[in-house]
Formats: sequence, structure tokens, C-alpha cells
Amino acid sequence: MTTVKPILLAEDNPRDAELALAAMEEHHIADKVVVCHDGAEVLDYLYCRGIFAARQQGNPVVVFLDLKMPKVDGLEVLRAIKNDVNLKPIPVVMLTSSREERDLAQSYALGANAYVVKPVEFHQFIAAVKELGVFWGVINEPPPEGSKPSA
Amino acid sequence: MESVTQEPPTTPAPVHSEPVFHSSQAPIPKTGWLMERFAHWSIEQRVLAGFGLVFAGIVVISAISYRNTSVLLENSRLDTKSHELVQLLGSVEEALGAAESGHRRYLVTGDESYLKSYRATVEQMPEYLRYLRGLANEGAEQRDRVETLERLITSQLKAEADAIVQRKKRGYEGVRHLALAGAAKNEIEEIHRLMTELDMAEQRVLHARVEESAGSTKNTIALLGLGAFLQLVLLASVYFLIHHDVAERRRVAAELQSRGEMLQAANKELEAFSYSVSHDLRAPLRHIDGYAALLSKAAGETLNDKARRYLQTISSSAKQMGQLIDDLLVFSRMGRQDMLRTTVNLDQLIKTVLHDLRLDLQGRTISWTIHPLPNVSGDPAMLRQVFVNLISNALKFTVTRPEAKIEVGAGPRNSGEVEVFVRDNGVGFDMQYVNKLFGVFQRLHRNDEFEGTGIGLANVRRIINRHGGRTWAEGAPDQGATFHFSLPLTRSLR
Repeated sequence: MTTVKPILLAEDNPRDAELALAAMEEHHIADKVVVCHDGAEVLDYLYCRGIFAARQQGNPVVVFLDLKMPKVDGLEVLRAIKNDVNLKPIPVVMLTSSREERDLAQSYALGANAYVVKPVEFHQFIAAVKELGVFWGVINEPPPEGSKPSA
Repeated sequence: MESVTQEPPTTPAPVHSEPVFHSSQAPIPKTGWLMERFAHWSIEQRVLAGFGLVFAGIVVISAISYRNTSVLLENSRLDTKSHELVQLLGSVEEALGAAESGHRRYLVTGDESYLKSYRATVEQMPEYLRYLRGLANEGAEQRDRVETLERLITSQLKAEADAIVQRKKRGYEGVRHLALAGAAKNEIEEIHRLMTELDMAEQRVLHARVEESAGSTKNTIALLGLGAFLQLVLLASVYFLIHHDVAERRRVAAELQSRGEMLQAANKELEAFSYSVSHDLRAPLRHIDGYAALLSKAAGETLNDKARRYLQTISSSAKQMGQLIDDLLVFSRMGRQDMLRTTVNLDQLIKTVLHDLRLDLQGRTISWTIHPLPNVSGDPAMLRQVFVNLISNALKFTVTRPEAKIEVGAGPRNSGEVEVFVRDNGVGFDMQYVNKLFGVFQRLHRNDEFEGTGIGLANVRRIINRHGGRTWAEGAPDQGATFHFSLPLTRSLR
């Protein structure tokens, strides 16, 4: 783990974002987290433009994506990521309140790597976020930089 | 939707069948009664009656036309006969005239060649007479006249024949007076008179018949015209009836369609609503619980017991509401979700349900009695939910018992349905509240006695209703409770 590749958290609700950060704090991975407040910001980050024009190049280890977000919603961001050859390898985890079958089906159809329903209970929420952060941010080996799918 | 075993109607439906007549009311006149009867007829009966009338009309008109045409044909046959008779009379008169003048010339001259026409007449006469008899057989008067005529003709010809014989025997002088006056002067006059009579009588009959035929033809035409008009009126009213009915049906169909569309829109709205509930209502709850936890972590040390208990209550309330939302969403999904229809092995289903509930069984003393259950047709996931809810309930309400007794079994198969029951020896319930058991958010216990959202049994009823079955329960306070449901053996989806 020599890299300091960030975890991208797309969450429009600042309280949810704060709670998620508090959860990651417990495992000391909060400093790796970059928070975007809507879908447009996520795309700006991924394409290094707008307020992220000056950021260090490279993809995040994982994107935690909320479904309902202003401007560009989660499913649209997911579609953009999975349709871009350079962004496609980034693992995308849907992190949402919705348990609706329709959302699940659409997310997987668009190529989401995982789908997690935010638990109401804080302890469960902390546990879920922590596990997700640890698994995708620490345990999981991200794809090599600039990897292209073999035709 | 939720009223299979709920509240039987207490007030009888109003009865419309018998109208009440007041003494002051005038009796309905006969035609009014007929109209009333007609008003009660179905459209099929009315159309049938209309077509029946049209058919009867056609039969009557056909019969009358047939009769009139027969009369016309008969008259025309008689007319031909009359014409022939008149013509024949002319021929007979001519032939008799020729015979008379021929024989007189012979009487005068003795020249045999004058007898040629006389002989021809004598030869032809039987034929003529036979013909005459054939033509004049329609009326007694004419028949009598022809008979007389026949006799006179025969006697004329005979007198003439006698005269000829005399002439041959005694020469001109012997028959002089005969030659001058004619052999049968009297007969000839009589014959002439009779023939005129015959001719006139026949002309009269002919004239009457022509008049009759003309009248009959006129009547037939009038009848056909009137009949056609009546048929037209009847057919038009039948058309109107059918048209009216079709228009009515079309209107009902359109209304049904528009209602269906409205219902669909309402359903869509409901779906959007529950989606919104699912997504948006959970977030603030998560925040309440999360921040309460963060607060207790950040300031837990400095808080007194009271403040810590407050925080605990905030958390548990948030969790309870989360559970409520989840249950409500499941309930709403159970109503909308498409149903599968396969054969479900209930024995197997019970095993998996008990396995899933094993965490709730820890630390409990429970005596299970599970009887063999039948295979049923239905949605496995939904039926699983039914058993989860019923068994969870049994577990929950026996928690105060040192030894819980839970029995699951099937009733006898009868009248095309399977009955399943879940019995416990728990706290039971008062039968006066039995109608509230299966309602949404209806609870018979306070939350500090037994936890729950009041949706479990409502869900059971909804699922069983969608399978076409019934749900009911019996129990007594502190005597345990038995929950029953039935599933139809035949397929009937909702």
C-alpha cells in the first residue's frame, strides 16, 4: 500500500457525508476520502476539470455513489463511468437508502460492482461503511493505472 | 380489499323487488302494465320480440298475397273460358245458320251440292255441343240453358233432316211450305233467343269477374304497401333498440377504460410515493440515530444517567420508525408485486422459516408440534412471509410462558380449499377485538408489553387474499390463540 489513492464518496447530504466520514475515522481511512456533493462534481473530479483541474492525476480506488443526487444522479454517473474506457476499471459501489428492486436491477445492468443499502441504525451503518472502506480502499487491489481492457 | 372475514353486514340491504301501492293510487291501466313489462325485458328479449313481429307480419302478408293471387289466377282461367264460350256461341250460330240456309236452298233447287254445308254442320255439331257443355259448366243457369239449347239444336237438325228426306221422296211440291218458311222456324227463333241469353249472361259474369280481379289487385297492392311500411317501422325500432344498446355498451366500455387508466395512474403515483418514502424517510432517521451515537461517544463520559437514557430513547425511537417504514414498504410491495404461481412444499417452507428464526429461539423453551402439511399452489416468497409473520407472532406472544407450545398443522381438505393453522399457548386475545387483528397498524397490546408495528397480520391477510384464500383467528385472553388461513385448490389469481 504505497499509494495514497483516494476513495471518492459521492453524497449530496452533508450529514450522511459527515456520518460516513465519522465511520471511516474509526478505521483511520477518513483522510483518503474525497467528498463530492453531486454527480456533476464526481464527473469533474474523474475528468480533472472545474474545481478539480489542478488535482493529481489518477483514478480513485473506489467510488461510493449515492443514487439520488442533484444535477447528475447516481445512475447517470455510473453510466458515464462504465462507458469510458479509462474510467471503466474503477470499482463503483452504490451506497443508497433505496431498497427498490428497480434501482438494484438498473444499477447492476449498468455495471455497478456492488450495491449496499444504508442501514438506519448507526452502528450497522458504521460497520457497513467501515467494511466497505477497508475492503475497497485497503484490501482490494485496484486495477493498474492506465489499464485497458484487452480488446 | 381487506374484508373477507371482517364484519358481516348488520343492516339488511333494502329490498326493491315489490312495489308498494297506496290505496289512493289509481290502478295502472292495461297498456301501462304492458309498457312496464316491456321495460323489464332485456335487450335480447326486446330484439327477439321485434324480429318475431316482423316475421309474423311477413307470414300474414304472404298468406294474403297468396290467396289474392290464387283468386286472380282462377279468375283469369274463368275469363279465358268465358271468352271461348262467347266465341263458340258465335261459331255455333254461324254453323246453324249455314245448315238452315243450305237445306232450304236444297229444298228449293234439289241441288245436292247445297247440302254440303248442312252435312258439315250435322257432323260438327256433336263436337260443338260437347265443347259447349265443357265451357258452360260453371253455373247452374248456364248449364240449363246449354241443355235446352242442345235439345233445340238436335230438334232443328232433325226437322231439317226430315225435310230433306221429304224433298227426296216427294220432290219440291211436297216440301214447298217448308222451303219457304224453313223446316224448324220455331226452334231457330228459340235457339237465337237462348244464345243471346247465354252470351249476355256470360258477358255479365265476365264483367263482374274483371271488377273483382281489379279490386283484389288493388287490395293486394295496398296490403303490400301497408305491410312494407309496418315492417319498416318495426325494423327501424329494432335497429334503434340495438343501436341504443350498443351505444350504451360503448359508453360503459369507455368509462371502464378511463377508470382503468385513472387507477393505473393512481398506482403509479403510489409507487412513486413509496419509492420516495423508501429513500427520503430513511435518511433523517439515520441522521438522528447517527448523531445520537456520535453525541454519546463524544460526550458520553460527561453526561449523567438521565441524559444517557434520553440519548438511548432517541436512538431506539429512530430504529423503531425505521422498522415501521420497512414493514410498510413490504406491505405495499405485497399488494403491487406480481405473483408467481408454482407448487409450494409447505413442509420444506416451515423448515427454512424455523431455520431463519433460530436467533429468536435462543434461550427459549419451546415445544414444537409440526404436523405434515400439504403442497399448495402459490407464490413461495409470499407464503414464506405468511409463515414468518405467524410464527414470529406465536414466538412473541408466548415469551411470558415458561414453556411455549406452538403447533402448526393442516385442517381437513374440504370444499376445494386447504386450511392451515398456527396455534400457540401465549397471551391470546379477547374475541371482541377479532376484527381488528388483521387491520393495518391495529395492535391489541401496548408497545411496552410486546413490540411490533401492527403490520404483520395485515400482510398475512393481504397475501392470502391475493391467493384467493381467507384468514381468521380464534383465541381467549391468557388461553392462547389460533390463526387460520385457507388456500383454494383451484387456480384463482388476484
